Amino acid sequence: MTSFGVNGKSIETNKSPDTPLLWVLREHLKLTGTKYGCGAGLCGACTVHIDGKAALSCLTPLSAVQGAEVTTIEGLSADNSHPLQVAWIKEQVPQCGYCQSGQIMKAATLLEHNTNPSREEIVQHMNLNLCRCGTYSRIIKAIQRAAAEMQS
Amino acid sequence: MSAQKKIDSRLSVDSLNRRGFIKTAAGLSFVVSIGGLLSACGEAAPPAPGQPSPGKNLDANIWVTIGTDDSIEIVCPATEMGQGSMTSLPVIVCEELDADWSKVKVIPVTRHDPAYGNPDFGGQLYTAGQASIESYFNIMRHAGAQARLILVDAASRHWGVPHSELVTETSQVHHKPSARSLSYGELAVVARIPDPLPAITDADLKPRSAYRIIGKTTERLDIPEKVDGSAIFGIDMQLPDLHYGMVVRAPVEGSKPEEINHSVDDEEGIIAVVPLDYGVGIVGTTIESVLNAREKIKVSWSKGRVASTQSSAATLDEYEQIARDYSTRGSIWHERGGVEEALGNAVQLIEAEYQTDYAYHAQMEPINATALVNDTGDAAEIWVSTQTQTLTVYAAARALGTSNDKIIVHPLYIGGGFGRRTHMQYVEDAVLLSKATGKPVKAIWTREDDVKNGLFRPLSAHNIRAGLDENGRITAWYHRIATPSVLAYFKPGRWENAEGLDVISMKSSDNSNYDIPNMRAEHLITERRARIVPYRGIGAGYTKFAIESFVDEIAAARHMDPLALRLELSHESSRMQTVLKDLAQFCEWDRPRQGKALGLCVTGYGETVAAGAAEVSLDNASGLITVHSFWVVVDPGLVIDPGNTVAQMEGAVVFGVSHTLKERITIKDGVVDQSNFHDYPILRMAETPEIHVKVLSTDNPPTGIGETGVPLTAAAVANAVASLEGIRLRHLPLTPERVLAALRSKASPSV
Repeated sequence: MTSFGVNGKSIETNKSPDTPLLWVLREHLKLTGTKYGCGAGLCGACTVHIDGKAALSCLTPLSAVQGAEVTTIEGLSADNSHPLQVAWIKEQVPQCGYCQSGQIMKAATLLEHNTNPSREEIVQHMNLNLCRCGTYSRIIKAIQRAAAEMQS
Repeated sequence: MSAQKKIDSRLSVDSLNRRGFIKTAAGLSFVVSIGGLLSACGEAAPPAPGQPSPGKNLDANIWVTIGTDDSIEIVCPATEMGQGSMTSLPVIVCEELDADWSKVKVIPVTRHDPAYGNPDFGGQLYTAGQASIESYFNIMRHAGAQARLILVDAASRHWGVPHSELVTETSQVHHKPSARSLSYGELAVVARIPDPLPAITDADLKPRSAYRIIGKTTERLDIPEKVDGSAIFGIDMQLPDLHYGMVVRAPVEGSKPEEINHSVDDEEGIIAVVPLDYGVGIVGTTIESVLNAREKIKVSWSKGRVASTQSSAATLDEYEQIARDYSTRGSIWHERGGVEEALGNAVQLIEAEYQTDYAYHAQMEPINATALVNDTGDAAEIWVSTQTQTLTVYAAARALGTSNDKIIVHPLYIGGGFGRRTHMQYVEDAVLLSKATGKPVKAIWTREDDVKNGLFRPLSAHNIRAGLDENGRITAWYHRIATPSVLAYFKPGRWENAEGLDVISMKSSDNSNYDIPNMRAEHLITERRARIVPYRGIGAGYTKFAIESFVDEIAAARHMDPLALRLELSHESSRMQTVLKDLAQFCEWDRPRQGKALGLCVTGYGETVAAGAAEVSLDNASGLITVHSFWVVVDPGLVIDPGNTVAQMEGAVVFGVSHTLKERITIKDGVVDQSNFHDYPILRMAETPEIHVKVLSTDNPPTGIGETGVPLTAAAVANAVASLEGIRLRHLPLTPERVLAALRSKASPSV
């Protein structure tokens, strides 16, 4: 039995401890905002927070979240009000949108620790997360916008 | 209510279950029995037995429904993959309807119905080739104007005043002389649908000067759902009792399973191992059980398709030989003047060869489809990311041996299309596995499945000869392209009637923006040695690489500025002249750059014209090219949404630079060497240039924007490298190894 929290709710599951967290979130808990992109930690589409740190849920076995608190895109805010979500809409970042949950969750951990990141710091932090539609420059702008918003 | 929406209303995803589906199938038969599904469209067909009455919402035509609650439902025939059609097409309707945009709800098309089909795709529902705006602009304008006329007519009769005294604005009809107003919702209650519907002519449409939302940036309707995780992509589909399916696919195209080790039958969660003609299906109750089981299954395969077992390197060699062997004749894609005679009369001949490797779409959402087949195996409901409802229906109907009207398809958000989701074997997977098990099945390809069994942009080999007269002017241009026919493989029915003209393989090779009097683009249709489908930019991705690189090579031979040569060549195209001159200013073409250089490329894609400039540097030790900045000027005629146009250009430039620098599929013994993003890298944020886009809205009809940016990139980068280092890169992608090889041969030219 694995016990952990997801977006503030307690979860207990008897799924095999080696089950990737990604499948538990998406297919068992129906939290489909977290995406499967590569299954190998190469694209970042599956990024969630585990105890506040960005983690690749496709590489995280269920056993690794015993007792931990997991936050997914669905738990980032109740109403699209996180400064990053507001900025993402303002900058009209997504195209197909498939990678954007992972992008936003990854960016959120940057702003947790650095409220005024430089462009280089943003790029360094975000570089794992792939976007085939090529929205990278808007992601950078949206993170800068959210950072400015959070400071004001 | 249109038949379309009736079917939708009966098929709410939330309430769906096995019984519900059977009822649905019965309902479908009912609609068909009253004169065919298609003829029922647009008529006030009676509701199916036991279904609620449609109420008093006004189905103004097959595209527009006005709710008594002031809601505006607009049918969008295109599927949404990030290109923005789900917003831009309804915007066009809304403009002519004078509707309140905030009340608009977009309704998808969930079956194959030529009434909604794209006239430029033979009436198929097909989202590709940056065609949606161009193909539907008039249809959508007429739909909106017709609905507006019905509402104005209702107000006219209600108040007893002439049409000429009525004005419409933001879902209201105003009668200013009496200071009265009615909302569209109020009018929906009293309006009558005339039979026939009122005819609309172009004279009934607004002049461009009256547009309120066309030409302005509208926030895309799908974006809020895409930042809170609630957007449902195909792979996100959930259903009661949902099962998971995967197909272990043959390593070589055409191999069939011969022996299958069934020991996974008793694996926890596995309910079926399903031998298929092209692989072995595994169905289980959880995705992880299926992933585990597929590792244990052992399959021996028959010999594959022989033509697909040749290595990609040998195939490209073969294509190169064919391209340069002028005794081999191909299909003439474009011809003007007399190219052979003009080459014979030329004072100077210039010849060059270019090659491009296989490229993979790398769309972020892996391939998948969810299907529920009924108990008798002759009807299905499908939830899927697809670029074409029509081909989805065809594929499912063919797999079940049933008729097209027995298939309902729910097009969900697409996590990247780029052409990949026009080929439908993944729909077949889901349908066959659901039929075999009697369960709703979500069939997923892993990333590795998709790369290993990829449907690529084909290899291409180019030989181009240009003839110059005594003044250096290009009088002849002969472009031979050896590449297989994409159309013949992925749309054999269409190819049968295409008379050898493959618009996918040969796109934009006609040099329509260049004034070259004698010109031929010839398609040497080579043997297909891999599975090939359209890829963003289609043939223009490689034809423009060859053409626009060659233009710079000719400029170098003439000691001429590449910009000046392009201005000379395009002097009869005022649109191209404008974008080129604007681009030159925009990128400061004449400004010297320390350690960097600029390269140019222009493209026409359909009627859209664009010019791009890349600013690059080169690390001579590693051979690594860096694209620092990219400028685009684009003229897509009337611009529907400038913000989205910029976004599409930015995205296409990233895609284009990615495939220019990095993307390469290789095949050995019929097996694809690559498998995931570690060995098929795509551009990352750190490698992304600064992109500057200028959008010109012109008097021309609106044309597409999704593809145009891709063919702008490769030649611009190669030309910039040539300008910087004096090396000419003629093989795409421009990998460090190829750059280093070019640097070496520059240092010690072969004899």
